[in-house]
Amino acid sequence: MKKRWDIIVVGGGPGGIFAALEAAKKGKSVLLLERKREMGVPVRCGEAVGEKDLRSYVDIDPRWISAEINSFIIVLPDGREVKLKSNIYSGYIINRDIFEYDMAARAAEEGAVIRLKSNVQELILKENGSVAGVRTMEAGEMREYYAGIVIAADGVESRIARQAGVGTALKPEDIEPCVQITASNVRLPEKALYLYVGFCYAPGGYAWVFPKANHCANIGLGINGKYSRVSRPVSAYMENFMQRFFPDASVQRYVTGGVPVSTNLKPLTKKNLLIVGDAGRMVNPLNGGGITHAIYSGIQAGKTAAGTCEAPGKAAKYFSQYERNIQKKFGKNHEHQYRIKDVVYQLRDEDYNRIGAEVLNIDIRKRSFLTVFRHVVKHRPEFLGDVLRAFTGI
Amino acid sequence: MIVQNTLCDQCGTCIAVCPEDALMLNEHALIIDHDKCTECMLCVNICPVAALEKKQ
Repeated sequence: MKKRWDIIVVGGGPGGIFAALEAAKKGKSVLLLERKREMGVPVRCGEAVGEKDLRSYVDIDPRWISAEINSFIIVLPDGREVKLKSNIYSGYIINRDIFEYDMAARAAEEGAVIRLKSNVQELILKENGSVAGVRTMEAGEMREYYAGIVIAADGVESRIARQAGVGTALKPEDIEPCVQITASNVRLPEKALYLYVGFCYAPGGYAWVFPKANHCANIGLGINGKYSRVSRPVSAYMENFMQRFFPDASVQRYVTGGVPVSTNLKPLTKKNLLIVGDAGRMVNPLNGGGITHAIYSGIQAGKTAAGTCEAPGKAAKYFSQYERNIQKKFGKNHEHQYRIKDVVYQLRDEDYNRIGAEVLNIDIRKRSFLTVFRHVVKHRPEFLGDVLRAFTGI
Repeated sequence: MIVQNTLCDQCGTCIAVCPEDALMLNEHALIIDHDKCTECMLCVNICPVAALEKKQ
């Protein structure tokens, strides 16, 4: 195996794959290192993605789509369902394993080399703090690979950036421990994203039921880290939830995971290191969605890395451009969402029930996200500003 | 800290909150660097499946 590469990508999730694909397309030599023994799995993800959003990055292969989604149903603590207006959302529940398999194959076709079972232990740092390469464990043997640019796409753990001196450790309140099952024989009446809100289900988070093909569904639950205790971990909340709503479900997949719900990491670059996706804390902190954020940042990082290889003198300019692009695309928005999350997840179950009852009184054709938030603001006027900014993008 | 490997799903949530960089995953298991660990309990409390506990 070659020792020297133009670009090394650490981590083979969507961020890493798209970074490798983009840089390889530009003719650079790219090595992607993945710890696990298979691309695409385990799928630690609800797999919901907006149709337009995904389409803006890639031509969608029908094989990736498990189910189409066109509505949104919020289940209140008292069990009542608040359905929002139809076609409020156009999205998919995808098969991320198939999607990532395919995209990894495309990256390889463009010339990127993927190496599995390669567990990056640490960065090789130069005296000036820039990154020379990585030390990785492969089948019990330590190996070294060198590159001009390293892309940290190592997911929620984010140890690579940490070693380069960027503080990535999350406070408990900035992460949601989650459990998700993929259940079969789940008959859902609507092609909707079902969100269960309230302390009684998931303190500081929510439970989700996302329909997949063949009467399967991703059913998951996340709580805020500050409520997570060894005596009552999120798995215990999940057990309660399943007992109550899906006592007879058969389970074909069980995964756990942590979803970062902070604002974007700052900085997102350090010397010749670029940070993408979950490692850069780019998940929307209110709804926990992060697939397309990883894709976007991966593409941007791949471009930035390739451009810098061609014009090393412009490294500083290109890197600050990367930082700005991410901030512009969703950094500011996530700051508003973060403050909204703070208020929304502190609502009491009575508040949810009362706000829900008010929304239920509105004609279903007028039940938009804005309408819902208008009623939240009525009860909690202090976050009017953030709601407005989140919706207007100002 | 000790990890019960029968419970651990190797999801890395504990690694994300560890202030000391005392945790890492290899291909099969969570590895704890006992020299770095200060037993702050953040990982124990955040684990989705209660797979970590303080060594008695």
